[in-house]
Amino acid sequence: MNKARSYDAIPTAWGTLARSGAVYILLAAISTAFLLPLAWMLSVSLQDIRGVFAQPFVWIPSHLHWENYADVSELIPLGRYFLNTVLVTVPVLLGTLFSSSLVAYGFSRIRFRGRSALFALCLSTMMLPGQVTMIPLYILFSRLGWIDTLWPLIVPSFFGSPFYIFLLRQFFLTIPREYDEAARLDGAGKFRIYWSIILPMARPALITVALFSFIGTWNDFFTPLIYINSPENATLTLGLNMLKSQIVGTGMTQWHLLMAAACMVMIPNIILFTLGQKYIVKGIAMGGVR
Amino acid sequence: MTRTRPITALLCALLLNSCGSNDRSDSGAERVSYNCAANAVEIKSLQAEIPAFADSTGVEISLQPFSGQEKLYAMIAAGQPPDIFYTNNVLRDKLAAEGRLLDLRSLSAADPFTDRLWPDVYRQGLSADGGLYSIGNWSFTAGVYYNKELFDKAGIPYPDTSWTWNDLLGAARRIAARTNASGEPEHYGIFIPSHFIEVFELMNGAPVGDQSLFLNFSESSLEIYQQYLALMNDRLMPDLRRIQAMGMQASQLLQSGKVAMLVEAVPHQVLFETLTIPWGVSPIPRFGNRPVRCFRSESGGLSISSQTANPEAAWKALKWIIAGASIYQPNPVLRDADFVAGWEARYPVLSGSGFREVWQRSLNHPAGDPRMFVRFSSWTSATILERLQPMLDKLWARETTIESLVAAQPEINRAARAELTRLIQRGRLDQKFVEAIEEQLRKASP
Repeated sequence: MNKARSYDAIPTAWGTLARSGAVYILLAAISTAFLLPLAWMLSVSLQDIRGVFAQPFVWIPSHLHWENYADVSELIPLGRYFLNTVLVTVPVLLGTLFSSSLVAYGFSRIRFRGRSALFALCLSTMMLPGQVTMIPLYILFSRLGWIDTLWPLIVPSFFGSPFYIFLLRQFFLTIPREYDEAARLDGAGKFRIYWSIILPMARPALITVALFSFIGTWNDFFTPLIYINSPENATLTLGLNMLKSQIVGTGMTQWHLLMAAACMVMIPNIILFTLGQKYIVKGIAMGGVR
Repeated sequence: MTRTRPITALLCALLLNSCGSNDRSDSGAERVSYNCAANAVEIKSLQAEIPAFADSTGVEISLQPFSGQEKLYAMIAAGQPPDIFYTNNVLRDKLAAEGRLLDLRSLSAADPFTDRLWPDVYRQGLSADGGLYSIGNWSFTAGVYYNKELFDKAGIPYPDTSWTWNDLLGAARRIAARTNASGEPEHYGIFIPSHFIEVFELMNGAPVGDQSLFLNFSESSLEIYQQYLALMNDRLMPDLRRIQAMGMQASQLLQSGKVAMLVEAVPHQVLFETLTIPWGVSPIPRFGNRPVRCFRSESGGLSISSQTANPEAAWKALKWIIAGASIYQPNPVLRDADFVAGWEARYPVLSGSGFREVWQRSLNHPAGDPRMFVRFSSWTSATILERLQPMLDKLWARETTIESLVAAQPEINRAARAELTRLIQRGRLDQKFVEAIEEQLRKASP
């Protein structure tokens, strides 16, 4: 009987193996398709300009032009732009985390009249494209004398972001209210509960928000483009754009240098994403439970 | 916590330093802002020369190298437009009609600089009301780049200024005659990117540079469309969709020998810097005995904001950017600049390549810019093109016919007329422009 059962199991095992194999092959093919542009970028960053346009394209060049990475710094002050980007990204990260979590806490834990309507209003602002608010915001910042400074890139993050508020609110709703009640019995106020109970328990969601916020700010091109005028205040994305050819026919796009710079610019993103990817999945999954 | 304090303090200090007010030290010079679409090389060069310009003229140029239409509109709306900025024809006309641009005639009238400009460059800066709202800051033409090896192999003489469309077809046929096992030519004869068809329409006598309010297919244009389709049907030119799908760049097509001839812009830096094959460039061929009409594009230029506080200083700066800044010299918009010699010095490969002949012919026979996005009036261009361009794309993909294209003309023109009516009724345009448009409208027969 046992013998017969194991005999029957063989085709099932083969079938499972074949199914898994097919799934892995499919996933590998999709991953390759997604990774190809990245591989192209890396390959081009190590070639000269002729290699970029070679036909057929040589993926692994015979001579690696590592000097491209140094040449970029001669064309644009990469260090200065890196510093500017850090100076924007770090406060934006802190501002986003603090303001969004505070608002989310209010929407998830404090009962007040019109809460649902206010939350719906908050979410509805997500439907507004950035271009709609761009001119009023520009006028506002211009009256404050903040044009061509980093303030317009930083300050809005201290007023909450509807998407992050939504994400965090959903996560906060999964935290049992009994914790709040226990803390209240111990004499904790609303802010103390938020700071000492809710935030530590919402670490996966906060890390998710932090990562999204970091990646979004680090890669943001449009906002600095609108508010920054002087080269010395530029962020990395504006710096990359300066490596592209422009309208007047005096310079072609130095693709090899542009790709070398792009490789360097994306390193912090890759590191952070690698370190925090498990939290992203966890944060979003838990935020979506309720 | 104590360890992070110095880092936090450092970050805060740096942040406050970077976020400081925009005011700069007052050196007494008149300050002019230049919002330029410039790359890193240009910015470096301009930044190095601006102090000397300020010393000699008392005009200090502050560079704003991050440009874009959204940014420009935001700056204008906030009442802080840059003093000098780049505009294309359509943007220039719209801003001029809204009173946003300075009419440069008063500044240019008595200035010898104006005489240094090629007449077609000056003309391109004029708007519907007769005002001068921009000065072209660059110019280019088009030519046929060819692979000398493939011509030698096929025993065909190199093209010169006398060649015609039939000569081009003959050469393309001979080069494409040899096929591989799958019946595909080993080398295609020619590749004409679809955005260069207009150049051939121009040479074939089509009235395409008249800033027309409406779409009006001429027989000359339709003849070129037929010829273009025939090139693909006869396998003298690779299928446009296939090339687009493969993502091949112009230089790759020529470098790889996939095509023997390629129509592209002259000058074209990517080709000059990346081609390793022996190559030459020849003018766009004539159609029989039709007169030579060359494509020259000055479809954009530098404009000065009407809100500028220092019009004279801005004009000085504009002139310097075009005729003084070394990165843009020799500038092809200037009559007294030896553009060809300058480029031959920069790219020795150009000597004897035919570049000189192509450029000279464009100077001798300027017939405007026939490209679709400047062919029509700035007021109807977007309305026409958003309907016409998808149809043209379908035509080149051979999914529709020339007859269908012609049949769509009345509908496209109805939309253009509706747009004009709406524009006039909205009342945002300066009266002089409204009158000019109405006059054009009366004359036009869609």
